[in-house]
Amino acid sequence: MNEAIVIENLRKTYGTFVALNDLNLEVEPGICVGYLGPNGAGKTTTIKILTNLLKATSGNAYLNGANVVEDPKAALENVGAVVETPEFYPQLTPNECLAYIGHIRGMSASAIQERSQEVLDEVKLPDWADQRTGKFSKGMKQRLAIAQALLHEPSILILDEPTTGLDPRGMFEVREIVKQLKATDITILMSSHLLNEVQEVCDKVAVIDKGTLLAYDTVENLSVMKENSVSITTLDPIKPDKFRELKTLHNVTSVKRVETLELVLSFKGAAKEQAQLLEDVIKTGVDVVSYKPTQSVIEEIYLRLIPEEEAV
Amino acid sequence: MAPGDANQVGTVVKYELLKYLRSRRLFILIILIVLINSLFLVIPPATGSQYPKDPTEFTQNMLGFVNLLIIISATFFGADAIVSEFEQKTGFFLFPNPIKRHIIITGKFIGSALVSFGGLALYYIIIVLSVRFIDGSIAANVGLSFSYACLYLLAVVALAYLFSAIMKSSVTSLVLTFFMLFMILPIVDAVGTVAKFKPWFSITFASGIITDILKQPYPKDAVQTIPLVANATRATGPTSISIAQYYPVINTSIIVMVAYLVVAFILSLIIARMRQM
Repeated sequence: MNEAIVIENLRKTYGTFVALNDLNLEVEPGICVGYLGPNGAGKTTTIKILTNLLKATSGNAYLNGANVVEDPKAALENVGAVVETPEFYPQLTPNECLAYIGHIRGMSASAIQERSQEVLDEVKLPDWADQRTGKFSKGMKQRLAIAQALLHEPSILILDEPTTGLDPRGMFEVREIVKQLKATDITILMSSHLLNEVQEVCDKVAVIDKGTLLAYDTVENLSVMKENSVSITTLDPIKPDKFRELKTLHNVTSVKRVETLELVLSFKGAAKEQAQLLEDVIKTGVDVVSYKPTQSVIEEIYLRLIPEEEAV
Repeated sequence: MAPGDANQVGTVVKYELLKYLRSRRLFILIILIVLINSLFLVIPPATGSQYPKDPTEFTQNMLGFVNLLIIISATFFGADAIVSEFEQKTGFFLFPNPIKRHIIITGKFIGSALVSFGGLALYYIIIVLSVRFIDGSIAANVGLSFSYACLYLLAVVALAYLFSAIMKSSVTSLVLTFFMLFMILPIVDAVGTVAKFKPWFSITFASGIITDILKQPYPKDAVQTIPLVANATRATGPTSISIAQYYPVINTSIIVMVAYLVVAFILSLIIARMRQM
């Protein structure tokens, strides 16, 4: 088994409610996967089973080849996880919380000390290292949770909505941390409601609904042959001849005037075609002030896969 | 590589003790211990009365609150130990690690027991030193009394862990533990004296050996008949009532305490393992 994470026919039921419906997913090592789906789709249930917080009704889940259902201690050996916003023991400081986890994981005292400093620097908590966590804000606890997940330099990182509770700067910093981790060979499975965040950070996207995997591929592959649209703001009002010329550009399916200086161009294709379209528009002599997609690609994919009444 | 289970138990115990050492509950317990003992030492001279001359009687008097102290310790350090991991969400920090759930619970239990032993030992030390200083000697069997108190403490902490594993709220678990041990079971014990059945199976009844062991000789069960004067002159109705005075048998009580300890602790492990976040 070469895959970092393998989920096989994973099923979780609560009475008659099926939270996971024989879910299957294989995540290759060294990539970052965004785990998307509406509320109640089964994202957190999957993550909780992977981290031994829930027992599966049936099926198996492997982390680095070890079955988390049968031997969670072995499976979680090289895994770091942030599930929901964990609370910390209010009597302990971040340094002590990290030492607690470090000792449980068998790290030496010197390694714990060294790594604690590194990860607390990484999550911008060094000044709070020896303050008790009892009075920490939700954002600070979330940062500390990320620090404890990274302490032992895991090969798999499982993040359940890691930017929840963070202010915009905190969200940006967490995204930067994840981006930096991508430079290493770590495998990241990250659930999120923030589609742009997933598009910005992740290599692949897994979309789940009603406990079933709907799609799992790169953002680019999922958006191929799909119609996208861009909004263009021009310096001067577009003359009728230019308007007709824009309609004839390669891949363009329609052009609509939204405001005097704003057009919406629909086109077939994804990022590559979008880049080509910008060049073609400029070649027509239109003075472009701004050029941006009306929706992010990932948003388009999500809305296409998740029916309207379920999407949140 | 994650260390072995025994090593991980040690880690959990260490951090549980650190948490308790910094908690308000330990501070409150120490204040209570000092306050209770101070009352026995301050009130006699303050009211012009004498300390008991017999060290056994003096020790018995001072040990009058040992059950309450043990129940408070079990409530403080056991009753929300498991449920709080789920309710306060600290389990999200601790559980997704390479450590078995029952190892965490075992470590927590040892931590709870150790900090409670500390409080109990302090209580006994103050009593023994006070009696020794005032009466010049110590009561016979005080060591046995302490041993029985330790066993009772383990049993009630295990019972507290069981409630903590079952309950969904810390407050419910705390209240249930305290009232079960302080009121409900003692009421069952008291009913026995009237209904003439010996509640040997009750953990609170069994705890009587902690103070009874100081009595010389060890007391035996007795039934006392009290004549009812009003009914004696009438032809109908009972002319007397009899009240039984039961004392726990030492060996039986030790077995009862061990049984409570083992069954309650194993059940708490099983339930905590099955419980999901």
